[in-house]
Amino acid sequence: MRRIAALHLPLLPIERRRLSGAAAVWTTQGSRRRLIAVSPEAAAAGLRAGQALADAQAILPELVLHPHAPEADAAWLRRLAYWALCITPLPALDPPDGLLLDVTGVAHLHGGGAPHEASLRGDPGEEALRRTLVTRFARAGITVHAAIAGTAEAASGLARMGIGIVVPPGEEASAIAPLPLHALRLPPSTISALHRLGLRRIGDLLRQPRGPLARRFGAALPAVLDAATGTRPRPLRPLRPPPDFLAARDFLEPVVTREAVDATLALLLPALCRQLAEAGQGARRFVLRAFRVDGAVQTVAIGTGLPSRDPRHVARLFRERLERLEPGFGFERLVLEARATAPLAAAQVSLPGEGHASPDMRRQALAELLDRLVQRVEVWRPAPRASHWPERATWRVGPFESVQIPPGWPGSGPRPVRLLRRPLQLSAVALLPDAPPSLLRLGRTSWRVTRAEGPERIAPEWWRERPDRPFRDYYRVELASGARLWVCRPGVAVPGEPVTWWLHGRFA
Amino acid sequence: MMHPDDSLPGHAIDRPALLAALRARLAQLDRSDGTRAGGEGVPLCDAIDHHLPGGGLARAAVHEVLAADAGAAAGFCALILARSRGSVLWIAPEPDAWPPGLVRFGLSPADLVLVQAPRRQDALWAMEESLRCPGVAGALLAVDALDLTAARRLQLAAEAGGAIGLLLRPDSEEEGGATAALTRWRVGALAGTGSAHDLGDPRWSLELLRCRGGRPQRWDVTWRPAAERLDLDMAERLDPDDATEAEQKAVPARGRHRAR
Repeated sequence: MRRIAALHLPLLPIERRRLSGAAAVWTTQGSRRRLIAVSPEAAAAGLRAGQALADAQAILPELVLHPHAPEADAAWLRRLAYWALCITPLPALDPPDGLLLDVTGVAHLHGGGAPHEASLRGDPGEEALRRTLVTRFARAGITVHAAIAGTAEAASGLARMGIGIVVPPGEEASAIAPLPLHALRLPPSTISALHRLGLRRIGDLLRQPRGPLARRFGAALPAVLDAATGTRPRPLRPLRPPPDFLAARDFLEPVVTREAVDATLALLLPALCRQLAEAGQGARRFVLRAFRVDGAVQTVAIGTGLPSRDPRHVARLFRERLERLEPGFGFERLVLEARATAPLAAAQVSLPGEGHASPDMRRQALAELLDRLVQRVEVWRPAPRASHWPERATWRVGPFESVQIPPGWPGSGPRPVRLLRRPLQLSAVALLPDAPPSLLRLGRTSWRVTRAEGPERIAPEWWRERPDRPFRDYYRVELASGARLWVCRPGVAVPGEPVTWWLHGRFA
Repeated sequence: MMHPDDSLPGHAIDRPALLAALRARLAQLDRSDGTRAGGEGVPLCDAIDHHLPGGGLARAAVHEVLAADAGAAAGFCALILARSRGSVLWIAPEPDAWPPGLVRFGLSPADLVLVQAPRRQDALWAMEESLRCPGVAGALLAVDALDLTAARRLQLAAEAGGAIGLLLRPDSEEEGGATAALTRWRVGALAGTGSAHDLGDPRWSLELLRCRGGRPQRWDVTWRPAAERLDLDMAERLDPDDATEAEQKAVPARGRHRAR
């Protein structure tokens, strides 16, 4: 039996903007402008959500108005959901203004009794958890209504009506019976049709025979009722799949300094790596989540090329990244998760003084080096490709991929050892328009060409290129200094027109 | 610990034996001796290997290469990296090493990892980490200038890891001053020996400017891509007739000369 805590944030648009005094948020519905949230001060003056904007301004001329921003509200709700990861690993969004937390078996962690007690009749643990939730949100300046029940729909309906209770397992139906129909968030057309039939409360609806209800309103209505009473529960869609391996630590005093974070990581990493070792797994991604006292969650993630569970190696990777954490007023909880896990066989640790001989260890050492390098700089392998167009002869692949050399690569003809990413434009003197150059000029320096080999005509790949790209005539030229360059002339040389030459590479 | 004088009191001191023992101890202390830490040195060609103290370019050490010509120096470095037999890293602000050309010097793209480090301290850090890693056979850092402390750090890292490190620097007039590297080379290009329409095989001038435990020297060499061999040009000068004959035979075979 699952236990779900539903949180309803009635003042979410107001509290997100941290508005004080008489304030309201409005939106346009059709041709009318209505309030959708009012601050407590404005409510005291007689305003309420759903009122027309003009009426509200007439009642309270000094009312501060803000337009509705649903995207920003949704983003903020998502941030709160991430923060709720410190309560349970399975939070879910309940848009537009709610959160659903799967709190099965976590009540005793937050000041309640042991789980077997909570599963019995009395729910002192869950009541304590419910109060903890409300006070923790209140500390961050957020008003919430919280209710805990066995189904998400029942808990959410109770929270939305502002009824903060803990429903004992199996009593969802009787708990929601007195609620009005819109607590279940049925479509407005269905609600008005039910009202016409004289059904005003959920209890009225539950007493009706199912068959006629389904015939009249479709299968969706009985499905909602079954989900709310727990006859056929619907699964919760959590924000993220829970990690397989996780180590966490809570602090009595918020942690502010880098040293404290380092020390905590030094405790968490061996614990997590021990879990991984016991399961015979290694992880390719480690995520550190830092929960700040003001509700923000900061994430630092590192990746490794090969599955790893070596605490020393992972700690070195984290060392570069931890500078990005901004503690502000401090962290109250640090969680380390292992993701993208894969089987990893236990390796024989080499004896000291044995030297570094085995190829396996070399490969491991290289992978660890590349892990460290990719934290700070760009690293890639140039993989050959079957293409004669110079820019396309190689392409970047990740440093951990193996590079296959296609047969026949790199083809005939000498190629330069350095290829300029941006070719340099040259001016040249040639005896004939389509002859190799006899003098090259780059800026103010000029080079006399003593030998030239070519041309080698390289045509663009018509199946990939835009059709007007010209072919290139490449020459290998040797200067008087002995330097060898790869220069090219794009397109056909037309007598009388200036020819541009490009320096594209350098030969050894 | 035994003092040499304590061992045989009253006997005449055996000077050659004593010197040999001291040398052996010094060599043991000085980890930069390439033959001990990294096995065999990287071979270049017989004449040069005989001249170098370790019988080749020492591993577990840093070598400086001044590029009088950018292309020739890159080719020379590619040759050393290829012969270090293993994974190599090419670290530069803008790594422009191009595998289709490098493969002619034996450097396969399967072994090559390119690292782009635009900031100087990142590049130095990447080089130091690479040299320290036992899984790396060679690492190259393209850098414009290097202070003595940074170079010393790299040298120590190479001694710890066993890789061969190359510092590819642009050539400067004053030869760069003091260095922590084991050797310093200046690599320039030489004009080929072919006809006006054939460049022939690449020719380099290799100047060994400094060498710990060795003398400076200069060689003119030719790289033979077909044989994957570095040839000293001496042989050609001794036999001028054979060389020109060979060149003349080679020209029509290449067939690049278009008669107009």
